Amino acid sequence: MSLGHYLLLGAALFIIGLFGALTRRNVIGILMSIELMFNAANINLAACNSYLHPAGVAGMTLAVFVITVAAAEVVVGLALVLAVYRNSATAYVEDFSLLKG
Amino acid sequence: MIEAIAFYSMAAVALLGALLVVSLRNTVHSSLALGLSLAGVAGIFANLGADFLFAGQLLIYVGGIAIIIVFVVMLLGRTSDLHLRQVNQQWGAALLVCAMTGVSLWRLARGYLGVRAAAPAAPTTRAIGLLMLGDYAVPFELVTLVLVAALLGAIFFSRKSADGEVPS
Amino acid sequence: MLQHVYLIPLIPLAASLLILLGAKEDPRSPMPFLGIAATGWCLLQSIAIFYGAATGALSLPYAADWSWFTFGATAGGKPFLYDMPVGVLIDGSAAVMLVVVTLVSFLVQVYSLSYMRGDPRFKRYYAYLSFFTASMLGLVVSSNLLVTFCCWELVGFSSYILIGFWFERPEPPYAAKKAFITTKLGDLGLYLALLLIFCQVGSFQIPQIREYVARGFMPAAAATAIGLGILCGAAGKSAQFPLFIWLPDAMEGPTPVSALIHAATMVAAGIYLVAKCYFIFAVSPVAMETVAWTGAITALLAATMAVVSYDIKRVLAFSTVSQLGFMMCALGSWGFSAGLFHLTTHAAFKALLFLCAGSVIHAVHTNDMRQMGNLDKKMPITFFATLAGTFAIAGIPGFSGFFSKDMILEKVFEHDPRLFTILAVSACLTAFYMFRLVFMTFLGQERDMDRYLHAHESPWPMTVPLFVLMALAAFSGWLLDRGEFFTRLVHFDALPGLAPAHEAAHAPAYLTWYVTAAVFFAIYLAYRLYGGSNFREAESIKRRCAPVFNLLERRYYLDEFFLALVGLSDQAARLAFWIDSEVVDRFFVDGWGLLMLALARLCHLFDDSIIDRSVDATGGLSVSLGGTLRWIVRRGLVQEYLLWSAAVMSVLTLLTLPAQRYCLGASVGLGLLAILTLLLVRRPR
Repeated sequence: MSLGHYLLLGAALFIIGLFGALTRRNVIGILMSIELMFNAANINLAACNSYLHPAGVAGMTLAVFVITVAAAEVVVGLALVLAVYRNSATAYVEDFSLLKG
Repeated sequence: MIEAIAFYSMAAVALLGALLVVSLRNTVHSSLALGLSLAGVAGIFANLGADFLFAGQLLIYVGGIAIIIVFVVMLLGRTSDLHLRQVNQQWGAALLVCAMTGVSLWRLARGYLGVRAAAPAAPTTRAIGLLMLGDYAVPFELVTLVLVAALLGAIFFSRKSADGEVPS
Repeated sequence: MLQHVYLIPLIPLAASLLILLGAKEDPRSPMPFLGIAATGWCLLQSIAIFYGAATGALSLPYAADWSWFTFGATAGGKPFLYDMPVGVLIDGSAAVMLVVVTLVSFLVQVYSLSYMRGDPRFKRYYAYLSFFTASMLGLVVSSNLLVTFCCWELVGFSSYILIGFWFERPEPPYAAKKAFITTKLGDLGLYLALLLIFCQVGSFQIPQIREYVARGFMPAAAATAIGLGILCGAAGKSAQFPLFIWLPDAMEGPTPVSALIHAATMVAAGIYLVAKCYFIFAVSPVAMETVAWTGAITALLAATMAVVSYDIKRVLAFSTVSQLGFMMCALGSWGFSAGLFHLTTHAAFKALLFLCAGSVIHAVHTNDMRQMGNLDKKMPITFFATLAGTFAIAGIPGFSGFFSKDMILEKVFEHDPRLFTILAVSACLTAFYMFRLVFMTFLGQERDMDRYLHAHESPWPMTVPLFVLMALAAFSGWLLDRGEFFTRLVHFDALPGLAPAHEAAHAPAYLTWYVTAAVFFAIYLAYRLYGGSNFREAESIKRRCAPVFNLLERRYYLDEFFLALVGLSDQAARLAFWIDSEVVDRFFVDGWGLLMLALARLCHLFDDSIIDRSVDATGGLSVSLGGTLRWIVRRGLVQEYLLWSAAVMSVLTLLTLPAQRYCLGASVGLGLLAILTLLLVRRPR
C-alpha cells in the first residue's frame, strides 16, 4: 500500500465530512461531520509520518494534539448545543438566524 | 497481501461509517455510525504502525467522543423527528463543492501513489512521550490549558442556576 | 617746427585752464593777456608753417601719430589688433586753416579787451575763448576722425557757453540751447558716418581711409551713406539748409564771439571736414550732387532772408549762411580749391564786418538799423572798414571776395549751369543787402537823434584789428590768387585709378563780367531804395509784396517746423509711455496675474470636484460593494456561509495547487454553477 492510497482515503473521508457539514440539518450532525474531517487529517498526518519520515514521530505527535483539541471542541460544542436547545427547543441549524442582515 | 486486505477492509469500514453518518435520517443511528467510522480509522492507524495512535483513537474518540455524542443525541432527539429529512436545500451546491475539492485532492494524492514504505514500523509510544515532554513541551502544556478551558466551558454552559434559569 | 605742431592746440587749452582756475574774477585782471599771449604764439607758429609750406621749405603733407589705445578682436577666426592713435595731419588746407583760425582768434581777443571791458565775467570770457581756440585747432590738425569728432563736439560746447554768456537775460540761454541741439541733430548723421567708416575700413585715420578708398575697396553705396552723413554733420555745424535756424539766434552772444565763432571759424568747420574727407565724396556722385544742391539752396534762401532783416547782426548772420552755401556748393561742384579759397577770404571780411558791427553797436547801443544813419562822419575808421568788407563780400573787382567768388562761379558753371544761376542770383542779392546795410547804417539821414549824438569812434583795441582785417579783405585775394598760388597749395589730388569723370565745358571768359555787371545793378537798386533819407519806395514795395515779406521774415517757418518735430517726438514719447503703462503693464503683467488667478481657480475646481469626488466615490464604492456582499449573509444561516467559504476554498485550491492550472476553465465554470445553485436555494418549510 503506497502513501497515495492512504492520502486518497483521507481525501475521501474529508470530502464526506465536508458534505455532511454543508448539508446536515441537525447541529450534532454537523459536529459529527467535523469529527470526520479531523480524522481525515489525522490519517494524513500518520501516513506521511510513517512513509516519508519513518525515523521520527512528529506527525503522530501532532495527530495526538489534534485528537485532544477535537475532543475539547466537541465537548464545548455539545455544551453549547444543549444550552441553545434549552432556550429554543430546536436542534436544527436553519432555525437560528440571529446573524441575519 | 495481508496488508492490502487489512487496508481495504479498514478503509471500507471507515468510509461506510462516514457515509452512514452523513446520510441517515435517525440521528442516533448516525452517531453510532460515527463510532464505527472512528473505529475503522483506528484500524488504519494500526495499518500504518502507529500503535499509540491506534490505542488513543479507540480510547478517546470511540470510547469518549462518540459516546458523548450518543448521550447528547439521546438528550435532544425527539421521536417525532425521525421521518424528517436530515439533508438541507443546498445539497447540490455542496455536492459540486465537494466534487471540485475532490478533484484537486485527487490530483494531489495521485503523485504519491508510487511511494512505498521505507522501513518496517517500530513502536512509537516511547518516542511520542519523549517528544511531548521534550521538544513539544510548550504545546503540550497549552493543550492542557485548552482542555481545562473546555472543561470549564462545558460545565458553565450546561449548568442550571439556583432559581432554575439556564444560562444562555 | 612741424615736430611741435601738436603743441598748437594744447597751449591755448593750458591757457584756458590756467585762466579759469588761476585767478579771481576781477575787471582789471591780467589773465586776458595770458590768453592773448597763448593765441599769439600759436599765430606765429601757424604763420611760420604757412610760410614754410608756401616757399616749399616744409614738405607737406606731414603726419605724426602717438599711440592712444589699441584693442584686439577676432575676425574670421584670426586675432586682429585695432589701433587708435591720436595724431596730426598737416596738409595745405590745414596750414591755411591754422593761419585763419589763429589770426582771427588773436584779433578777436585783442578787440574784446575793449569791447568786453567792465563785464562782470571778463576773465571767464577769455578762458572760454581760449578753450574754443584750442578745440578748433585740435579739429584742424587732427588726423584721427574720432579725435576730430571729439573736437567737433567741444567746439559746439564752446559755442554754447559763449552764446549764452549773458545768461541773465532769457534769450541767450534759449539761443544757446537751440544752437547746441540743432547742431546735435546734424551730429547724429556725422556719428553714423563715423561708425560706417569704421565698419568699412577698420580705422579712423584719414590717411588710411584715403588709401582704402584709393584702392577701390569702398563700395559706392557705403561711400554715399558716409558722404551723406558727413554732409549732415556739416549742415548742422555750417548752418546749411535746413539746420541753419540756430545761426540767426546765435547773435545773442557778444559780437566778438559772433565774429570769431559764427563767422570765421566754427561754421567753417563743416566745410573743412567735407574738404578733409573729399576723397569719399569723390567716389560717390550722389553725395557730391547733394552737397552742391544743398549749398546752392542755402545760399539763395539765406540771401532772401537777409534782405528783410533790420537787425544789423542778423543781416550779417544770414550773410554768413549764404556765403557758407557758396562754399558748400563749390565743394560739391569739384571746386575744392575754390571753396577753401572762399573760406579763407570770407573769414577775413566776415570777421571784419562783425567787428565793425560790434563797433557800431558799442557806439549807438542798439542793433536796429532803423535807428541808425549818417554815422560815416562820426565813425570814419569803422565806416571805411565796413566799406572794405562790403566791397569784398559783394565781389567788387580787385577785392578779395571777387577772386574767390569768381573762382567758385566758374567751377559751378562748369559743373552745372543751373547751380550757377542760383549762385549768381544769390551773389546779386548779397550785394544788394550788404549795400543796403551800409546805406542804412552809415549814410543817409540820422533817424534817432539821441543815438546819433552819442555815437563816437571806438578805442584802439577795437580799431587796430579792423585795420589788419581791412588790409586782408582788400589785398589777400589778389595776393593768394597770384600765379595760382592758393590752388597749388590747396588742391585735391585725384585718387589714382579712380579718375573722376568731371570734364566739363570750360566757362566762357566773359562770365565774370556778366556777374559783375549784375552786381553793380544790384548795388544801384540798393542805392535807389535805401540811399535816400526815407524809404518810401522800399516801404511801398514791402506793402505790395506783403505775403512774400512775411514768409521771409518768418524765416520760411523752419523754426515752427522744427518745434513741431520736437512736439512730435514728445507725442511719440507719451505714446510709448501710454503703451508701457496701459498695454504692457495692464494687459501683460496684470493680465498674467489674472490668468494665474483663473488657473488657480480651475485647479481648485479640479481638486474639489474631481479629486475629492473620486475619493468620496472610492469610499462609496466600498460601501456599495459591502452592501452588495451583504446579500451573501442576508438570511443569517451559518451553513450558507460555510458553503460560500468551502466553494471559494475549493476554487482556490484548484487554481493554486501546481499541475492543476489547466483545470482553470472547468473550475471557474463549476464555481459559477455553484453560485447559481446557491441563488436558487430557498428556505424549506
